[in-house]
Amino acid sequence: MKRKKIIIWTVLILLLAGAAGGYYAYSEYNRKHKDTADLKPDFTASATSLLEEYQKDEKSANTRYLGKVLKVDGLVKELIKDDKGLYTIVLGDTASMSSVRLSMDSIHNEQAAGLVKGSAAVVKGICTGYNADEMLGSDLMLNRAVLDKK
Amino acid sequence: MKNYFVLAAAAMLFSFSATAQKYFTKTGKISFDATTSSSPEKIEGVNKTSTCVLDTKSGAIQFAVLMKGFLFERALMEEHFNENYVESNKFPKAEFKGAISNNDAVNYSKDGTYAVTVKGKLTMHGVTKDVETPGKLVVQGGKIQATATFNALLADYSVSIPGLVADKVAKTAKIGVDCSLELLK
Repeated sequence: MKRKKIIIWTVLILLLAGAAGGYYAYSEYNRKHKDTADLKPDFTASATSLLEEYQKDEKSANTRYLGKVLKVDGLVKELIKDDKGLYTIVLGDTASMSSVRLSMDSIHNEQAAGLVKGSAAVVKGICTGYNADEMLGSDLMLNRAVLDKK
Repeated sequence: MKNYFVLAAAAMLFSFSATAQKYFTKTGKISFDATTSSSPEKIEGVNKTSTCVLDTKSGAIQFAVLMKGFLFERALMEEHFNENYVESNKFPKAEFKGAISNNDAVNYSKDGTYAVTVKGKLTMHGVTKDVETPGKLVVQGGKIQATATFNALLADYSVSIPGLVADKVAKTAKIGVDCSLELLK
């Protein structure tokens, strides 16, 4: 009799564990990207200071910033709209070839529409890395960007 | 006297760069597709922030792509791509340096579609390999649209696919290039 009880309980527990595991796998598989607007910045810095850091030592700056949420402030150098209507905000010093380029998150894309060249902006995005280029100017790239309203 | 020399050198450099015709983009599209017939869904990422420079005089062409800039629809897929496959923290950038083998066949001053062959070296995941691929250049209104598709055997670049999903992910990734190049002033 006791044995039967143990077997029933074991089966029940296994089933529950399986269901929980299955649910976890299912939700993990269907997990959406987090909205950058809801993410707290890991670092807050000006576009020029970030670029300076990268120019000095790309490797150590990458260890610090790669994949992290950055809140960047700076002057809008350029606002680029691609053929699909997606905006890229280019922040930085107009006298310098280097810039911080932030590609807007598609769900927040329209936020960028009102930006004016030469005005100040605070933009949050996820750092994807640095592209050093002497001819075209070096860029720090961020994607899934949103305007910071605060 | 010294100043004159610097000025002359600067002027020379300037005129040199003015004659060398370079086209570029910083918003080039590079796609990565590792979907196979047994994949349960599309395994596809797109990078819309690739840099490309084409020197129309020599036919030299190069690309730079930040691996973390590949966007996947599913968050989990993007994480796996970055963490397990291409290890983008360790190898943040992929690069291609090469040239158009039949550059003489392209008349950059005349609108039209030109079939080209691009040959060069692709560096990804810390490994450099020779790549040769057909491509297409469309010259129109002072802009050049450059497109190509080629296959990269993931094992060639030491990208290993865990056994559990080995039959769900293609061993060869299809890489698509689509760049709209503008004249570099």
